[in-house]
Amino acid sequence: MEKVPPKLFHDFFRWFCHPELRDHIEGDLIELYREREKESGRSNADIKFIVDVMMLLRPGIIKPTEGYKNLNTHGMYKSYFKIGWRNLLKNKGLFAINVTGLAMGIATCLIIMLFVVDELSFDRYNEKANQIVRVILKGKVNGEIIKEAVTPAPVGPTLKAEFPEVVAATRLRREGSPKITYKNVTYRNNKVALVDPNFFEVFTLPFIQGNPKTALAEPHTIVITQDQAIKYFGDEDPINKLLDFNEPGEQYRVTGIIKDVPANSHFHFNLFVSLEGMAHAKEDNWLESNYYTYVVLAEGTNQAGLESKLPAIIKKYMGPQVARMGMTFEKFTESGNEIGLFIQPVTDIHLHSDTQHSDLEPGGDIKSVYIFAAVAVFMLLIACINFMNLSTAGATKRNKEIGVKKVLGTRRSQLVQQFLTESFISTAGAMILAAILVGISLPAFNQLSGKELVASFLFSPKVMTGLFLLAILITLLAGSYPAFFLSSVKPIAALKNKLTNGGQSKGIRSALVVFQFIISACLIFSMIIVNQQMSYIQDKEIGYDRDQLSVLRESWLLGKNEKAFMNQIMNDPRVESVTMSGFIPAGPTNMSMTGVYTGRQRESFRRTTLYDIDEQYIPTMGMKLLAGRNFSKDSGSDSSNVIINETAVKIFELGEDPVGKALTANTNNNGGTRSLTVIGVIKDFHFRSLHETIAPLIMLNNPSRGLIIRTKTKEMAGLLSSIEDKWKAFHVEEPFSYALLDELYNETYLAEQKMGNILKIFGALTIFVACLGLFGLVTFTAEQRIKEIGIRKVLGANVREIVSLLSRDLIILVAISFVVAFPFGSYLMDKWLQDFSYRIDIQWWVYALAGIATLVIAFLTMSFQTIKSALANPVESLRSE
Amino acid sequence: MKKYQLGEFEEVVMLTVGILHLEAYGVSIKKEIESRLNRNVSVGALQTALKRLEDKGYLKSREGEATEERAGRPKKYFQITALGKRAMEHTKSTRDELWSAIPKMALNLKIVGNW
Repeated sequence: MEKVPPKLFHDFFRWFCHPELRDHIEGDLIELYREREKESGRSNADIKFIVDVMMLLRPGIIKPTEGYKNLNTHGMYKSYFKIGWRNLLKNKGLFAINVTGLAMGIATCLIIMLFVVDELSFDRYNEKANQIVRVILKGKVNGEIIKEAVTPAPVGPTLKAEFPEVVAATRLRREGSPKITYKNVTYRNNKVALVDPNFFEVFTLPFIQGNPKTALAEPHTIVITQDQAIKYFGDEDPINKLLDFNEPGEQYRVTGIIKDVPANSHFHFNLFVSLEGMAHAKEDNWLESNYYTYVVLAEGTNQAGLESKLPAIIKKYMGPQVARMGMTFEKFTESGNEIGLFIQPVTDIHLHSDTQHSDLEPGGDIKSVYIFAAVAVFMLLIACINFMNLSTAGATKRNKEIGVKKVLGTRRSQLVQQFLTESFISTAGAMILAAILVGISLPAFNQLSGKELVASFLFSPKVMTGLFLLAILITLLAGSYPAFFLSSVKPIAALKNKLTNGGQSKGIRSALVVFQFIISACLIFSMIIVNQQMSYIQDKEIGYDRDQLSVLRESWLLGKNEKAFMNQIMNDPRVESVTMSGFIPAGPTNMSMTGVYTGRQRESFRRTTLYDIDEQYIPTMGMKLLAGRNFSKDSGSDSSNVIINETAVKIFELGEDPVGKALTANTNNNGGTRSLTVIGVIKDFHFRSLHETIAPLIMLNNPSRGLIIRTKTKEMAGLLSSIEDKWKAFHVEEPFSYALLDELYNETYLAEQKMGNILKIFGALTIFVACLGLFGLVTFTAEQRIKEIGIRKVLGANVREIVSLLSRDLIILVAISFVVAFPFGSYLMDKWLQDFSYRIDIQWWVYALAGIATLVIAFLTMSFQTIKSALANPVESLRSE
Repeated sequence: MKKYQLGEFEEVVMLTVGILHLEAYGVSIKKEIESRLNRNVSVGALQTALKRLEDKGYLKSREGEATEERAGRPKKYFQITALGKRAMEHTKSTRDELWSAIPKMALNLKIVGNW
């Protein structure tokens, strides 16, 4: 009977040892065991055997956990990645195009998503955001449409008193730009608001110091933001310190410090003065609107229901006061007039407000949000389509690989997994690249859009989950064709290369190309229209000459010396003329309006803009008098004479010869009037933005403060610094400041310009990505038809014929896309243009231009590849096989 | 050159495989080293070294006969490959170089010091 080594350890060895090594090591062990057993006995041999087995327990000998004989599928997945990676490297160009295109698409989509989310987040920082509504005033008075964000002072308190569902009402009033002093620190601040004591219970603006409930309860108290606290008080404790308002000459005690107002708020004041104790806040005057009124509704209040009760309030409170103007409220409404209060959720203010110039800050535009969101979605779609297209195209070349695999017994599900893995590698790569692109380009985008977007939002769990799902979706979409169609092919057909150009997939690819170019053509078309409208605004005859005009709005600070300062400037030979007026047709300006009517028809008054000017104004601004005369130099003589614009002539029905006709203007709400005589008619000029039609305007000979200078030099810097020297000679605290009217004018359209620029960039990116796709596709087609091209060349085809052969199909597809693109594009652009009262018409040549541009871009993209294949030596393509 | 690096034990194994020529398999190598160098070699250490050298391409193996004393398990005979030979030569030449670079004095001193 043979002696055998200890069974337990023997089995243990057999279990842990790598199968490839097992047999011969086992042989060695047994050989040694038997020798030792003979030499020094069994127990000694046993011990040595055990020691040997334990010493064999080391990494090189133990079988790998993965198993060496596919006991699980790790190895298979490893091979999917390996083969996938090698395949991608084999088609580097296609891979690069594919990943870059997708990454750009995703990056653009992410950036726009950040923008859109930010736009939609406005005022949602308020805890009661869903309950706060703003009360606005809308109506039609004697033909003039009125839309005001401001309401009369009593509206807030009245609503609170009348309706139980109104939990709280608070008001805010803008306070010009007072000069504020603490010790020897003086600043002019134009972000001062007067607010009701309960303001901070309505809006969630966290206090750093002070109590939100009581801070503004007493008169002459003020709550300031953190940055203002640092500005005025530095390290001192600001609480109970007094801030001096030099104008209007009051002192306010600091009772609270709040954090700076969030960027996504519809107001950004930094000083909040209590309205408590101010006489104008208590006035029961329903005919003057100065207060922004916010109301907190009880939860679950039906807003439409409340709105329907508001006309009764107007009738009850405003009615009697209207009657005092000489006309009963009934008669007022019967003659086609209407005036009403409406409510607007606070979260709608930023994007949906249509209260024109009375909003606290220029808001966003829901239309741009829609346009951008659409661009983002389309961009992503195009990128995904490209990705699918190119993956599909690339995969059809792998028939042979699939055939061989199938012959060797690969199951279909394994092929599906392999293609999906490859698709996943590219998608993951694109995702990472996209994240990098977002990081790099976000600062530039912020500059362009004037936002402060941060990428950290992208790392929130929600977005990350979304991105992950997107990656999976793209993987499935892009990988599905090769995964499910190609894997179903019979191996014999695959090996014979019988389906190199599956007709089915060609149809899908064509459809995808058409879709891409619908979007591209649409974008090119929109870009041309936006550009046209913007240059129309630039070049439009606006009724005055805005070049060479400088505005010194702050010259009123000189007080009595203003006239002397003006004369000094006038003596400069580089100055053509100077006018003293604070009424500027672009940018921030003095404003004044009053009801004006002809004859005795007081009730048919029309709210009319008043301009206080001097005799230099019209020549300095380069405006044109159509009839009558300018004011005379002697300011006293024309005190009741006015110059009116063409629109006013029409509105007041002054007929062919308005000069000498009389007008009456209200001077207050209690029936005070003054009569005016028309001495001149001025050509209409745009004194508001081109979004609005020109309104009636009356110019009075009444020099107001502020200077407008017409210069006749190109050396503006020199002139301005010499004016600055003169300014300093008057020893005013304020630094010299000026603005160029041309720049003020352009700033009015900043939002449109920003939108135009963003659209241009993303439009260009979208088209670029679409072209990448087209390029990839044509490369693929050329490669597939390489033999055909070779044979054709041998038979005498020239380069032009080959190029047209390769591009014809695709060019036809691009042309087909116009059929959908242009009607769609012109519909969208028409909507956009509706916002401008003065706008271009969409002309036929824009379609032609957009079409040709698209075709040229498509053709040039393809020509890289088509010409290359057409020039190739046929020997290269024909020598194999 | 990094790629020719051999460890001390690896070098011993390689040399022994060379000595045994066509007769080098686990047990014979182990015995040869034990008798020549008077040191104990565990089966585990030896087999690990052999596997590593084979993976590196310095040794190649062939399946041998299955004998009675091995309970029917085959022997695995090892042989030095051309690459293995180069690696051994490289190791030797680097050693020689180092030896020749030591100044005589240093060696003498050391010997004196140890004495």
